[in-house]
Amino acid sequence: MSTITLSVQFSGGLETLFGNRTAHTVALPARVPVDAAHWAASPAQPGSEQAGTEAETKPVDMAYLLHHLRARALTARPELFLEHGTVRPGILVLLNDADWELEGEGAALLHDKDEVVFISTLHGG
Amino acid sequence: MSSCGNPATESDALMPRRPKFDKGKNCVKCKDAPGNIVIRHAVYCKACFFPLVAFKFRRALEPFVNPKPDGPRRTALKPAGNLLLGFSGGVGSTVLLDLVNRSYIVNQKAELRRDGGKDHPRHDKVWKRVIVCYVELGDALPRRKDKTAEIAEVVSHYEDVEFVPLRVQDAFDPSWWRRIYGDQALPQLRVSLENEELAAVLTNPPSTEPLGSLRSYLSSLPTPTAVASALQSLIRVLLLHTAVETKSSHLLLGTSLTSLAISLISGIGQGAGFNIEQEIQEEWVPDIQPASDSNGSEWLGGYQKGVRIIRPLRDVGLKECAFWAWWEKLQVVGEDRAGWPESRQDIGGLTKDFIMRLEKDYPSTVSTIVRTCAKLSPRGDVSGKCVLCERPAQEGVQEWKARISVRTTAQATDAVVLSSSSTPRTDDAAAAQLAPHLCYACHTTLTSRNARPPPPLFPSVSKESSVTLPAWVGPRMRRKVGEGEMKAAIQEFLLEE
Repeated sequence: MSTITLSVQFSGGLETLFGNRTAHTVALPARVPVDAAHWAASPAQPGSEQAGTEAETKPVDMAYLLHHLRARALTARPELFLEHGTVRPGILVLLNDADWELEGEGAALLHDKDEVVFISTLHGG
Repeated sequence: MSSCGNPATESDALMPRRPKFDKGKNCVKCKDAPGNIVIRHAVYCKACFFPLVAFKFRRALEPFVNPKPDGPRRTALKPAGNLLLGFSGGVGSTVLLDLVNRSYIVNQKAELRRDGGKDHPRHDKVWKRVIVCYVELGDALPRRKDKTAEIAEVVSHYEDVEFVPLRVQDAFDPSWWRRIYGDQALPQLRVSLENEELAAVLTNPPSTEPLGSLRSYLSSLPTPTAVASALQSLIRVLLLHTAVETKSSHLLLGTSLTSLAISLISGIGQGAGFNIEQEIQEEWVPDIQPASDSNGSEWLGGYQKGVRIIRPLRDVGLKECAFWAWWEKLQVVGEDRAGWPESRQDIGGLTKDFIMRLEKDYPSTVSTIVRTCAKLSPRGDVSGKCVLCERPAQEGVQEWKARISVRTTAQATDAVVLSSSSTPRTDDAAAAQLAPHLCYACHTTLTSRNARPPPPLFPSVSKESSVTLPAWVGPRMRRKVGEGEMKAAIQEFLLEE
């Protein structure tokens, strides 16, 4: 099963929720189950050949990345990162240097070597 | 996806969510480049984004630089004094400092190099001095990190910018007050928070423990909202007096459109609706003359005109500020609110959560809040300035409060008891009531209690029956009480209106 590798960065204080590391490299399966209920059972580490074989699949998207980050990278207080299946209000997301709203937010498709940035604006202004 | 039916029974019940931009994915300005950011339903590319934000910044600032705001713009910017920038380390103030640097410091130098002729009037700096002031809250709240060194590091990256670090307890420090206003008007004021009349007494000599006074003051406030509001007010007035000290005619704050909507709604929720105009823009005139001016300073004219408080990012949303900071690789130190668990339960914190949610789903509504608030003008007359927050106070507040609420009133002897027992050395004591000299919001901050008392801010600091007030309250009270006494003395000779 093919995988893609992404560069993920956190800024504006969000890095404190991810082990104080601002830059992460994330490997994801190129295809994931369509039904989000199967994501928990899908392979978090690429190379495993379980998911995608039985359930209907789709190309990996931002919604799956959020699920993956919460399950695998988040070290503290998930409620400060995610809310109702998407990022909390006040957290901005850039996909390849562009606002993720242009690509449909959670539905934005991910490709190999994509760059994703999460910026928190919750630390005052 | 948004629902338009029951997805469990109807397979086509989910329809795609509407995109958050109106037209195509290309920039609405240059029509050519692919977009990088969506600002209130409009798409902009990176190249068009920077001039757009810089234009909004200048549009909000430059018409108000000259003492008379109607003069020709840009080529004839002649402010009456220096520029003070209030810096919190948040996204807004970080972007504001960058914009000021680009527009009025680096830009001027670039012109100088290109044209030569260094004495040409075109090359005169708009602002002779640009000063950045940071107020550290590290000692005011439990488990909060001191960020002065990090802020100083950020500011040091900008040339020709002076840095003035303050600590919030300076508001209670007689030596800080003396530095600006000299030995005149030094007595401090202690106030009893036991009843709503707020019996007060001037004390001389003043307290010499600013941190103890600050913690005692904050610990005696009745709610988490009052603590947050008091800190905000202390920072604001500290910045205003620093503007006087640095001979600044303009004080710039990094309040973004989003932050402004939050502070407007939160202010109204705390009873500061009368000051809604000042929350957007304000002209503050100090009523005590600085020591340097009494010695014959050349800046007397500027002092008389006061300090203009401007929020040049009031048309720029928090999202735009964050994108600017990211693309320009600006270091945002940020404010650490996590160290104070109560802070999200106050009116300001709850309003912030509400506005952020609103902005995510309905981005234009935040702008509508600010534009609507800008059209409001409060009813009622002004009865001078509040001695605590130094903003206009509405006339007849105490009479109105007395009519509509059940209150605990003071005994006539309270002030005398206070002067003899709580403050052992009151050489120059003059007892008075503070309540008539406060605005509605400040009076509410000091007196409005919850049914359930909040957990103590500092377990080691016990609640006292009377607390020391910031350094500027005593001198202003003495002036006000003095004026009242004078008026009473000549009352019989005054002509009726």
